[in-house]
Amino acid sequence: MSQVPSDWEVVIGLEVHVQLRTRAKVFASSPWGFGQEPNAQVDPVVLGLPGTLPVVNREAVEKAVLFGLVVGAEIPERCAWDRKNYFYPDNPKNYQLTQKDFPVVVGGRVEIELPGPSRNVMGEHKSVRIHHAHLEEDVGKLSHAGGGSLIDYNRAGVPLLEIVTEPDLRSAAEAEAFLRSLVAMLTQAGVADCDMEKGQLRCDCNVSVRRRGDAQLGTRTETKNLNSISSVRDTVIYEAARQIRELGAGRSIAQETRGWNAELARGYVLRDKEDAHDYRYFPDPDIPALKISRETVARLAKQVPENLYDRQRRYVEKLGLPYTAASVLVADRVLAEWFEAAVAAHPANPSGVANLVANDLLRDLTAAVPPIPLSACPIRPASLAGLVKLTDEGVISKQQAKEVFTEMFNTGQEAAAIVDAKGLRQNSDTGELEKIIREVVADPSVAKSIAEYRAGNEKAINALKGPIMKRTQGKANPGLVDQLLRRILG
Amino acid sequence: MAEGFDIDHLAKLARLSLTAEEKALYASQLGQILGHFQTLAQADLPATADGARVVDESVLRSDEPGPILGAEVVTRIAPASRDGQIAVPRVVDDES
Amino acid sequence: MADALHELSAAELGRRLASGALASRALCEALIARHQAINDKFGAFTHLDEADVLAQADASDARRKAGQGRGPLEGIPVGIKDNVAVKGQPLTCSSKMLAPLVSPYDSHVAERLRAAGAILFGRLNMDEFAMGSSTENSAFRKAFNPWDLERIPGGSSGGSAAALAAGLVPLALGSDTGGSIRQPASHCGVVGLKPTYGLISRFGLVAFASSLDQIGPMARSVEDCALLLDALASADARDMTCFGPSDRALTPAGDARKLRIGVPKGFLGKGVAPEVATAVNAAVEFYRSQGCAVSEVELPSADLAVPTYYVVATAEASSNLGRYDGVRYGHRSAVSGTPVEMMTASRSEGFGPEVKRRILLGTFVLSAGYADAYYVRALRARAKIRAEYLAALAGVDVLLTPTVPTPAFKVGEKAADPLQLYLEDVFTIPANLAGLPAISVPCGKSGRLPVGFHLVGAPLSESKLLAAGRLFEDAHGYAHQQAPL
Ligand SMILES: [Mg+2]
Ligand SMILES: [Zn+2]
Repeated sequence: MSQVPSDWEVVIGLEVHVQLRTRAKVFASSPWGFGQEPNAQVDPVVLGLPGTLPVVNREAVEKAVLFGLVVGAEIPERCAWDRKNYFYPDNPKNYQLTQKDFPVVVGGRVEIELPGPSRNVMGEHKSVRIHHAHLEEDVGKLSHAGGGSLIDYNRAGVPLLEIVTEPDLRSAAEAEAFLRSLVAMLTQAGVADCDMEKGQLRCDCNVSVRRRGDAQLGTRTETKNLNSISSVRDTVIYEAARQIRELGAGRSIAQETRGWNAELARGYVLRDKEDAHDYRYFPDPDIPALKISRETVARLAKQVPENLYDRQRRYVEKLGLPYTAASVLVADRVLAEWFEAAVAAHPANPSGVANLVANDLLRDLTAAVPPIPLSACPIRPASLAGLVKLTDEGVISKQQAKEVFTEMFNTGQEAAAIVDAKGLRQNSDTGELEKIIREVVADPSVAKSIAEYRAGNEKAINALKGPIMKRTQGKANPGLVDQLLRRILG
Repeated sequence: MAEGFDIDHLAKLARLSLTAEEKALYASQLGQILGHFQTLAQADLPATADGARVVDESVLRSDEPGPILGAEVVTRIAPASRDGQIAVPRVVDDES
Repeated sequence: MADALHELSAAELGRRLASGALASRALCEALIARHQAINDKFGAFTHLDEADVLAQADASDARRKAGQGRGPLEGIPVGIKDNVAVKGQPLTCSSKMLAPLVSPYDSHVAERLRAAGAILFGRLNMDEFAMGSSTENSAFRKAFNPWDLERIPGGSSGGSAAALAAGLVPLALGSDTGGSIRQPASHCGVVGLKPTYGLISRFGLVAFASSLDQIGPMARSVEDCALLLDALASADARDMTCFGPSDRALTPAGDARKLRIGVPKGFLGKGVAPEVATAVNAAVEFYRSQGCAVSEVELPSADLAVPTYYVVATAEASSNLGRYDGVRYGHRSAVSGTPVEMMTASRSEGFGPEVKRRILLGTFVLSAGYADAYYVRALRARAKIRAEYLAALAGVDVLLTPTVPTPAFKVGEKAADPLQLYLEDVFTIPANLAGLPAISVPCGKSGRLPVGFHLVGAPLSESKLLAAGRLFEDAHGYAHQQAPL
């Protein structure tokens, strides 16, 4: 990874296309979804047959509005669609319905978190401004076969929200953090699934560089159609290095549109400014301007989940969670809500609950073949809380808790039931335990350890605990054993 | 008013190839028509084009998947197809 | 021969079909025979699937017999302009570009007609993609005026008007973007109504200029025209610009003698032929004699209508016709090479000269550096024209003018001068720009050639227009007229 010289600054703006989570397409009733036979999800409207007309999907509009509310944007009273005219075989009408002048979402901010110095230390937070987001249609998919190309229009007409940032990002790491934060917000609000393997999130990446301290932005290039977060990161690194090299050598940057070859990890020129399209935008006469009622906005506002980082702050500050656990939990809304349900059942020890959820539970869910989604988790939040409670009350040891957890995970039984069935309740009967301890202490084989302990070697006492636990078949409460042992040894 | 009128550029934008005679003919006819549009250039007009209809959300489509054409119909009406897809000459990257 | 089936009105045919005196099959067979005998003379239809028509007729007769007749249009043939999609029938728009296309879906109006029991009868000739006023721009064959076979029938719904005038069908669909129903109706001596924008769904109407296009009924009488209009108008969720009929009736309604009629000041100055002026003035006098208040109205921006229309219409058309590229359907050139070369060749081969001219014009008025001077100004001019018309129609019920300044011209006469042809639409264009309903009603002859007058009303005032037309029609002999062939 090439480092940006300290006297240079990189300026990045992103245009992120996300496929919204709807069942039907944005201007047609044709269904859509991944993995269908080619052209099986096409109706007359999608194919752009003569005479067909678009009708806007209400759910797509509401998902776009919900996104706006998630990022604290303005939802203008009125939005409208324009035609962007350009010829391309994947574009069934040879114009794209998009929103140029009156987008559905204006403004907003996305909070991002940069990586910390280590995994368990939180990094710096930053706020990235959203310029606007507009609702448009996706195009079909081209593939190349032999001397020709083949077109599958299944993707044509899939609702796309194009989210355009201000040029607020300053490094590849910030771009990456922005996209991770954006994906978390979109998925947590149910706006989009953002499955990058299915092409549900694609980015255009605008990069320029300038000497640190310069007020003016440098000439930017736009790299189109990046389909993973790592491609965006690699593009920023590549493009910044290239531009700095060019400017350093006294050459200038051409305002051009570029592509990215992920296999070769190299960018290339698609077209220069002279080839820039004349899209001949004009208001689409088939779709009247749309008034979005304030009632709709108010209703959708109730669906906005707690902000990711607000939640993280609450976990650390109010619940006392370590950053590591908090950051794992808040990354997934369902997981966080599961955790909170467990904490509600046992509010005394959020960290204990968090530890089991973020480590043991997540590990076992993912290790299962096939992996188990949290929605099908065999353990209920209250049951997990029950396990933590038994441990906190000293009924079982931490070591035993791991064993009980595994049993709960495999059988779905309550912790208390497992503890009883296995006879795991710790032996707290002082009289019987004291008798066992006295017998062990009397055994000549431990005399040496006792002598060392009495001579001031604290650790030597541990050598006695093994035989005691063995004779109680591990049921003794370790704390009580320690306490009695010290008293007996004097 | 029609200065900068570039028939080659227009034809390229519109994806039309024109013969030299066609270019000359259309250029002169378009020039004449645009000349007639002078009244529009000189007219005293309102500052905005208000009056377009605005609809509310009741006219939006509900998110219910409806019928499809089927790949068989799509390929049947297509001029060329292969394996359920529409075939075209090879597209080079962003040729548009 | 007064009782020949092709001379009867749709209303009368409906009565005979309902009474059992006539079967749809017999009617369709008679019209098919007439089509076979005379259509070639003037090219009203470009396609007629006789077996399909007879199958529809048999199905209609069976419904009747089972007591499941669907209303006044049950069993009655309706000719379909070839820009309205009917599943299983060609949808060519009289263009080589769409010559190979058979529509895989039904337009909203086709569904409405089927639901009304009508027989969807053949494909009617038109100017290519509805661009023209003469039907000389059909890629397949020119259509001629049945009243004078050396003259144009008007356009773009020239096939519809000619078919009615020649008695090939009792009812026909047209579409009207700047006068394409009313101008041919006037030239062929039939009635044509362009409804309020949004009254009839455009779903399945091949777009020329989306903000102006409207499907409308054409017939040989106002009564028949109303019958067809009533069947077509209904709300449709597939067209966001369609709001369907209000609860006001679409049939002639109200006392036409009480209508206030406005005559735009100076309309006779616009190159109106003397015979046309005479016929239209007689119509004005007729209404005055019936008790209507006639007044002169001012429409100061009338001169802006033609340029405004041609900027808006061609801009939208240049985009609407972008989809015809030889990729998904329709004509694909044998020229291979890159996709751009294939698309360019397909479009250049598939479109005729008028279509290319309008695409170029529309591309220009939207292009970078010119859109503000042309397209954006045209939108503002359109708003001004609309406001003036609505203001005028607040003071009067209808505006009366000629439909076309002159009677039908000779084939080829204006072919070399597109601008001259564009000026044919001077009286009809404002109704499209303002989204208003308008009707053309026959009111006389210039020699052999029919002349019509034109009424424009406020939004959703179709019943007034029909009532006014009916009053005139009842007092004159122009209803049900057919060309002597
Ligand atoms: Mg972009
Ligand atoms: Zn986009």
